Amino acid sequence: MGARPHLSPSLAALMSAAAALAPEAHAQTATGAETDSRVSYRFNDYSEDSLAPGPHLGDPERYRVLSQQFQLATRAGSESAIDVSATHEVMSGSSPWYLLRGPDNRPIQVMSGATIQEHRNEVRASWTQGAGTSSSTTWSASYSQERDYRATALGVERSVPLGDALTLGYGGSFSHDLIDPFEAEKYDRVRHEDKNSASAFGSLAWVIDRASVLQTGLQLNVEHGYLSDPYKLVSVGSSLVDDLRPDRRVQAAWLARYRRAFSAADAALHVNYRYAQDNWGIVSHTVEAAWFQTLPSRWELVPSLRYYSQQQARFYAPYFVDAGSHNFYSSDYRLGTFGALSASFNLRKRIGKWEFSGGVERYHAATDYALGGADAVVPGVVSYTRAFIGLDYLLQ
Amino acid sequence: MRNRIRVAARRAAFLAVTGCALLGGCATTPVQPWERGQLARWDMRWDPDPLQGAMAGHTRFSKEGSSGEIGAAGGGCGCN
Repeated sequence: MGARPHLSPSLAALMSAAAALAPEAHAQTATGAETDSRVSYRFNDYSEDSLAPGPHLGDPERYRVLSQQFQLATRAGSESAIDVSATHEVMSGSSPWYLLRGPDNRPIQVMSGATIQEHRNEVRASWTQGAGTSSSTTWSASYSQERDYRATALGVERSVPLGDALTLGYGGSFSHDLIDPFEAEKYDRVRHEDKNSASAFGSLAWVIDRASVLQTGLQLNVEHGYLSDPYKLVSVGSSLVDDLRPDRRVQAAWLARYRRAFSAADAALHVNYRYAQDNWGIVSHTVEAAWFQTLPSRWELVPSLRYYSQQQARFYAPYFVDAGSHNFYSSDYRLGTFGALSASFNLRKRIGKWEFSGGVERYHAATDYALGGADAVVPGVVSYTRAFIGLDYLLQ
Repeated sequence: MRNRIRVAARRAAFLAVTGCALLGGCATTPVQPWERGQLARWDMRWDPDPLQGAMAGHTRFSKEGSSGEIGAAGGGCGCN
């Protein structure tokens, strides 16, 4: 404090103002306890590419999903915040059903018939105690409903400072899901199944210097119950059997996130890395980088790149020559080996209390993109384009 | 299968210890409260646009076998 008498009055006032911001600044960067009050809307158009050229049966046109998101985030008292959001999705199109062994041993992709429009509705609510402070607790609940699927989830997250530079985050969640496949009798599918999922995580966020912050954390996810896909079949010898996966899945993931501000450029760099491994044999790496560039007249431009690679589950194959000693079977492309590159470009403009946003993402997946190459072909791997427009109104 | 889980657990523990060591071992001069203006920028948040982040995460969760985020997870969906 001995230096204070040497400060000019204007500099002292500036320091006081900055110090007043400090708890919120700490919370926003190191713990993620954000304190905006706003009403938001997003319209998303997700469109999958047609099935890649190759032997196939059925409609090659794949899924299209139109989504609308609504959110209200507001302060409730001096240190509490409420966040309520709702999502409505309309889905249509066909999807990979099973693979047949072709005459030259090349798999033939059989597509499901194009679906009529399906709908999904989801509501989420969260309540944060200690919003805008360095120590906060967030309670959350969500419910998602489709014609054949319902999920109810509860979660809690806590963040507490460990000294000036470190913040500890930890929490957990639980979800109970019910699966009631439609046309179960017609296609001899399972009638009524359920699954439970639990997750726990811990993280440390470190304020490295006045312009950068790093977070690293571990997450453990455990799923138990019906984890197969009731709409997929598998070729085993000359028969078609149901997709059959283990009823327990344990996944561990390590994640690191880095943020750096560049004041001269009025920009910020985001870099994320995630490593995940599970007891099904799937190992994945994800690297993401984004550049948030502020432009004159309150424009903001955000280009970003993402790379994802996964190695297949032990029980994945395009088809099985015979039952052999296999206990589980799946030809779901999402359990195969592939990699994906995606690039996105978002734009945001603020006018008074209104924010207009829009963006597009192009996602391209291929077996050749996987780290270490692929052991088996994955014919159904999907590429897509996703675009959105959004509108926000700042309440304070 | 148990061996694989053990290997995964060891790798996770190694990463956790390494991460903690990096965070603790690289301590520098503390950043004072009045020096945190840049850290308070909107674009320095872990997730500056939660709605878009949720939609992007949901899309990847339904098309990839192993993607996810850190934090309390929501429920599943028929898409996966």
